[in-house]
Amino acid sequence: MLTTSPAPIEQQHLPVAQSRSGWRVALLAAVGAVAAISMIPFVYLLVRASDKPIDEIIQLLFRQKTLEVLATTASLVVCVVVINLILGVAIASGLHFVQLPMKRLLVIPTVLPLAIPSYVFTYTWVALVPSFSGFAAAVFILSISTIPYIILATLAGLRSIDGSQIEVARSLGLNPAQVFSRVVFPQIRGHVSAGALLAGLYTMSDFGAVSLLNVETLTVSIQNMYRASYDRSAAAVISFVLIAFSILFVMANESIKGRSTNKQLLKSLSVKTPLIQKAYLQFASVLIIIAFAIVAVIVPFYVLLTRFFSNPVAIDWASLASATFSTVSVAALGAFIALVLSAPLGYLLSGAPSRFATVTNKMVVIAHALPGVVVGLALVSIGSKLGGLYQTTFLLALAYAILFLAKSVTSMSSSLARVPNGVKDVAATLGMNQWAVVKKVIAPIAAPGIGIGTILVFLTAMKELPATLMLRPTGFETLATQIWSSGSINRFNEAAPYALILVLVAAIPTFLISRPDKEEQSFNYENAGGPSERS
Amino acid sequence: MRTREAQVNALEVSHLKVLLGNKVVLDDLSLSLAPGQIAALLGPSGCGKTTLLRSIAGLIRPSEGQIRFGKQLVSFSSVHLPPHKRKIGYVPQEGALFPHLNIADNIAFGIDRAVFTKDQIRQTTKEMLALTGMEGFGKRMPHQLSGGQQTRVALARALSIKPSIVLLDEPFSALDAELRTELRADVINLLRSQNTTAILVTHDREEGLVSADVIALMRDGKIVQSGSPEDVYSSPISPTIAISTGDALVLQASKLSDGSTDYILNPIKSSANSVTSGHIVIRPEEIKLSKSVSSDSINGLITKIDYYGHDAMVAIDVADQHLQVRIPGPFDFNVGQNVALEHVGPVRFFANN
Repeated sequence: MLTTSPAPIEQQHLPVAQSRSGWRVALLAAVGAVAAISMIPFVYLLVRASDKPIDEIIQLLFRQKTLEVLATTASLVVCVVVINLILGVAIASGLHFVQLPMKRLLVIPTVLPLAIPSYVFTYTWVALVPSFSGFAAAVFILSISTIPYIILATLAGLRSIDGSQIEVARSLGLNPAQVFSRVVFPQIRGHVSAGALLAGLYTMSDFGAVSLLNVETLTVSIQNMYRASYDRSAAAVISFVLIAFSILFVMANESIKGRSTNKQLLKSLSVKTPLIQKAYLQFASVLIIIAFAIVAVIVPFYVLLTRFFSNPVAIDWASLASATFSTVSVAALGAFIALVLSAPLGYLLSGAPSRFATVTNKMVVIAHALPGVVVGLALVSIGSKLGGLYQTTFLLALAYAILFLAKSVTSMSSSLARVPNGVKDVAATLGMNQWAVVKKVIAPIAAPGIGIGTILVFLTAMKELPATLMLRPTGFETLATQIWSSGSINRFNEAAPYALILVLVAAIPTFLISRPDKEEQSFNYENAGGPSERS
Repeated sequence: MRTREAQVNALEVSHLKVLLGNKVVLDDLSLSLAPGQIAALLGPSGCGKTTLLRSIAGLIRPSEGQIRFGKQLVSFSSVHLPPHKRKIGYVPQEGALFPHLNIADNIAFGIDRAVFTKDQIRQTTKEMLALTGMEGFGKRMPHQLSGGQQTRVALARALSIKPSIVLLDEPFSALDAELRTELRADVINLLRSQNTTAILVTHDREEGLVSADVIALMRDGKIVQSGSPEDVYSSPISPTIAISTGDALVLQASKLSDGSTDYILNPIKSSANSVTSGHIVIRPEEIKLSKSVSSDSINGLITKIDYYGHDAMVAIDVADQHLQVRIPGPFDFNVGQNVALEHVGPVRFFANN
């Protein structure tokens, strides 16, 4: 889980000899360009919205329809986040604290739903339960789509707590519940809040599930305004409501994170958390995880597979192959652009970041919070003015890059920060110039982390729907658009092969890069009398 | 110790057996401590020292044996008092301060808020800060403290609940030598001034000897020897154990029928037959060197001198044996010099099996 990984342990930044100013200027210029690109959607929307006279804007904002949609969106977000917090923290705590059988199997459902786009979830559930629709259904679908964010973020937080703190707290007279509320929770609050932020932003910006389930949220409104009336100014105004909502969320998260001072004291954990062996907790944990696995993994896969194999409509293999190729290639191009754009900013952030770099990073993070609908709307309008760019896969890939740049920047900066300063200095004293240091020292150490970040952008881009719908060249079909345009829910059988391919292509790398089982693996080994028994 | 019979031990561990997975980590282990005694658990990594501490704290459930605090039985077959009811002061390795709380809140953490008023808690915290020499640090966060200061706070936090026993798990291992000695002295003085019963886990032989009333030597999950520092140092029960409390020379020897022991520093010229062959253990400081080499004395050639400041370790070849001898300063020996050796100290003979 890269977007929520805790900040790397701070390195001490020794004063570095001022690097050549030409290099520095180029770097800053590059970062400036990245900031500008991230700001494209805002600038466009601002220009668009200002087309409308102010009284019309006010009227638009405060008409009953807008308020209703806003209320729907807000209650959807609140319901999903609250459900997620309860279930996600419970599941993560069960996985972390309780001795469970087959833990490696049990963690699979904690990440696999990330590979399944919300509209595919919706299709599968509707296929199973035809009357599945409305607000409660949307809460259900968006909860199972986003719980993995909170589970993974919470697990990361729990793993950063030294087991000896828990032992000390026990010896100081706290019972397990008090240990959780006074020692564990204050330290994972930042992680939990980051996970809740991701879940909330996902819900806010979701387009596929809510529109299939006939719940009109802000994203659906924007899309409708754009499609039905081509009133882009109104769409822009409503987009600002959505953006304001997103920014509010990001700020709330920042303030929670800021208050939780989880400064690591130790470089490595000295004691693994002792596992609870209480039967009722083991039973409850397994039960809740299996229940979650059934609704979020087993049902979707079961429906997809049965629809795939008992398909009355002949599968169009040629179009399936071409959609797969289009999806992979445009997502890969998007990931590549994100990689290139993230390099200068990630590099600046990995050292002692300047104010300029920090502010740029904030812009990138806000762009990450933008719904695909908004970015799509912005680029589609600008693209039409650029002539040549409009209706190209490059513009679509650029939209992906803007949307998911934050993931790439986070992995870039944290991977680069992992390169110890001493190592760079030693390389320099051994006679390497700056480029040689980058090539022979920094790149090999940071590459795996950067690679994972890039794959993450690639995966997310594959599943992206609203921006893809708006920006794809005419006749260009991806797996997502095929699933979507197989359109009405009764033609789900036609969509099943595309959905299955999309989920399978996404599932394997999703699991491999998250590897939530890794910790348990080493833990079991040590528990069985490996080298960690110290005494 | 005063009248041992009348007194109830502060800690009584008997026939403890602990399994982690399928591995026997502690086996038939017994240990008792009188009130106010400080014990040092000494042994190599992996011998079960930390496991014993954690069993006493109630963090591990033993599979056999019992643990008593005074008259109270805290662990025996189905009886297992949970850790938060044991009133144990536990100082784990590297302190484990709560990173989200400031120093004052760390220290006050275990004080029962239902029993004490806010003012009382503040008062106790202040006392603990003063006791550990950390006045004025209450508002700091743990990451702003040095390693030694963190250890002080961890101790203050443990003492704040007026524990019946304090368990210290290699609390000084992360510190550099100078600070370590100073902090160790402070901590031991503090524990003694409070008349606290304590167990100190260490793998530093010197640390154990200098700090404790009782040394318990552990090997493979068992206590192989325990006693006062003087006892375990001067009367080890085997050559291997001798090495675990300090440097030792293990030399070939044989016990003769007249009761004398023949070894390289004491060659017996009598015609008595060798009865038992075995080894003798000599501490390097028990050999005296002199320059008065004669045909009667045991002579050797100095091959190397390791200079430590307060003393020096001299390597001497005697016949075909290499001996290590510790000599106090001032030093007037040189490499290549011939010296006479004399063993002044107990003859510790261990027969071969």
